[in-house]
Amino acid sequence: MTDPFELLGLARRFSLDRAALEQRHRDLSRTLHPDRYVQAPPGERRMALERAVAVNEAFRALRDPLTRAEALLTLHGLSVGDADRPAPALLMEVMDLREALDEARRSPHKVAALLDQVRARSRAEESALASAFDADDAPDAAALGRARDALVRLKYFRRFEDEADAALDY
Amino acid sequence: MALFQIFDPVAPPTPIGIDLGTTHSLVAHMVDGRPECVLDCDLSPLLPSVVHYLEHGGVMVGTEAKGKAALHPRETLVSAKRFMGRGADDPETTRLGPYDFAMPGPGESNSVRFKVRGRAVTPVEVSAEILRVLRTNAEAKLRTVGGAVITVPAYFDEAQRQATKDAAKLAGLEVLRLLNEPTAAALAYGLDKGRTRGTFAVFDLGGGTFDVTILSLDDGVFQVRSTGGDAQLGGDDMDRLFAEWALGHMGVDPATASPELVRAALDAARVAKHELTDRPTTVIAVTAGELSFERSIRRTEFEDLVRPVVERTTPAVKRALRDAGLRPEEVDGVILVGGSTRVPAVREHVKKLFGQEPLSDIDPDQVVAFGAAIQADLLAGDGAKDDALILDVIPLSLGLETMGGVAEKILPRNTTIPAGRAQQFTTYADGQTGFELHVVQGERELAADNRSLAKFVLRGIPPLPAGAAKLEVTFRVDADGMLTVTARELNTGIEQRIEVTPSFGLSGDDVERMLLESYEHAESDLATRQLRERITDAERVIAATEAALRVDGDLLDEDERAELDGAMRALREVIAAQDGKKVHLRTEGLDRATQPLAERRMDRAVQQAMKGRAVAEIEDTVKDRPEHPHLAASYAKDAETDKETR
Repeated sequence: MTDPFELLGLARRFSLDRAALEQRHRDLSRTLHPDRYVQAPPGERRMALERAVAVNEAFRALRDPLTRAEALLTLHGLSVGDADRPAPALLMEVMDLREALDEARRSPHKVAALLDQVRARSRAEESALASAFDADDAPDAAALGRARDALVRLKYFRRFEDEADAALDY
Repeated sequence: MALFQIFDPVAPPTPIGIDLGTTHSLVAHMVDGRPECVLDCDLSPLLPSVVHYLEHGGVMVGTEAKGKAALHPRETLVSAKRFMGRGADDPETTRLGPYDFAMPGPGESNSVRFKVRGRAVTPVEVSAEILRVLRTNAEAKLRTVGGAVITVPAYFDEAQRQATKDAAKLAGLEVLRLLNEPTAAALAYGLDKGRTRGTFAVFDLGGGTFDVTILSLDDGVFQVRSTGGDAQLGGDDMDRLFAEWALGHMGVDPATASPELVRAALDAARVAKHELTDRPTTVIAVTAGELSFERSIRRTEFEDLVRPVVERTTPAVKRALRDAGLRPEEVDGVILVGGSTRVPAVREHVKKLFGQEPLSDIDPDQVVAFGAAIQADLLAGDGAKDDALILDVIPLSLGLETMGGVAEKILPRNTTIPAGRAQQFTTYADGQTGFELHVVQGERELAADNRSLAKFVLRGIPPLPAGAAKLEVTFRVDADGMLTVTARELNTGIEQRIEVTPSFGLSGDDVERMLLESYEHAESDLATRQLRERITDAERVIAATEAALRVDGDLLDEDERAELDGAMRALREVIAAQDGKKVHLRTEGLDRATQPLAERRMDRAVQQAMKGRAVAEIEDTVKDRPEHPHLAASYAKDAETDKETR
């Protein structure tokens, strides 16, 4: 994979400044966006389009802590598939949450309260990811293992957030 | 000064911006750095989007056509935009309206067809008639018209966007870009007010479509955060409810009313609706043949009637705010767009949703065309670095149907465009030699509940055990929001690429045929036109190459430079000889020869963009934003929690 950190000229760390990331994305978009190449010859237009797509994709990957963690693990040579087995305790917790969501479905306030609760859990996992990835210059195998576990948990919580969020639509 | 520009024979063509609306359409262009609408022959900027088909062929468009609607409801097409990119059996065709529809014949594409004077007319052709008149009006004022930016509702899907492009092609317009209507409005507002930073919501309720877009403006970059809406919700729906109410009072069943009566009731409803904008009470009067009906109605009664339409905007607004990770009070300004936002009940509703008084100091009817003109001017320019830039998003998730009929999202909604992503799939049966790919658009979990965009099959894969074949599917969305899907089997390298031609709509062949049929493109014209186009293209490439060499000529060594000069000379020779085929070939040759230069120039530009602002420096500016305390606060919150990062 292309390294999104390198593409955007940012240090390969989990913690990053959102505003700085957005600024970098804007600066590169100003240079590469297809709107800047409408009058250019077709070959150059295609080239700019390819690069603009890559920049947008890198921006997307780094903007969200979840995909950022995935990118970091991949760059460290670890694969992260859906096959990662979650701990039984996590499965139990998510099952309980799902039951609570089913009961709360008709009450937006209750759904919102559940969402807040799970978002707090997600944020805790994001902190865990930050300390696993960024504590030392280069995370060792143990740190990467911790990061992977935190990522698996984060994915479960996120999936729940999406479901709860969708429930707010009705 | 203006006179000189108009009559200057070598003046470059003027780029134009077009708002192709449900109720009316406009064309605008830039004059001394400000957008201005082209006036119609009756001195109005608004051309009613109405096309009347005459008995012996030929059409009438605009106000004149609108006058024919009462007597010829079936031959006069109003609000054709609502049918753009729709299938022949779309529910829209069964709503209250005077039209007669034709089902597609064998071999014909699945598009809505109006039965008009014994022939079938597609919404694309109707829209093309409107665009042709706008082009003619613009040419009367500007002499030569350049490329056009055409606006579409942000919530338009793939089929509706393609239909709009097809209509432009039929009308002989070069489309520089399809631009989302709310984004166009924000561009017009942002630049008009000279703002440099802030978060805005655009509430755009037109005749037939509703969009809500949340975007932030930062140093001249308009970045769309989220967008939502309903491509079939607008003032028309208020008119329908109101007309059905009137018909009910007349003791007429709307389902069996004559086309003349339906047209009369819809028109009376629209007139009364407009009157109730400034008055607390008015009289609705419906007259058709022998039948006539008059009744006074209070604004509050009208508001009760249309409340369902107004309320239907709520979920999309809430969803867009949530997708952008914002609370209503975090929005710095709410921009109103579209004629239907004049209805007081709509304004009240917007005020309630966002907890603030909305902005409407630019005419909501013209603001979209203004934005389109600004964007057209930017695109036709030299791409100067400090120009405004729009970063838009896709409104609906794009994905593939996978096992069990589940829609797997490849590009989720609100992904910034241009966008591209590849995903790998594998076979589930032993010896499988083909993959069927079903491309869908929408948010629902099951593929069948989403809009089907295209189906295609990748064949010729050698039989392998289940799970051994590796299929890589790449989705690519360009800056117009148009999708291309490529599928490749990684073991064999077998590849197939399709421009997604939506299942609903016209095929490329249909469009070509219509082009040939239209009188403007008679056979004899075709050759001249093609030669002219090829020479224009060639000159464009030469001009761009020369400009690039002036700025970055140092990036080439002597041999490379000599090769480029040679390619340009060779191309100029065949331009002088008016040899169309060779012009085409040598343009491609020059294009290829410029690739190394283009690549190095881009590298240089990227390096400058990254060097221009060290990250530490950005952090300082960000933490120190006194002119916008509340935005700074929201950034600080993100840094701490990273909560709205999806």
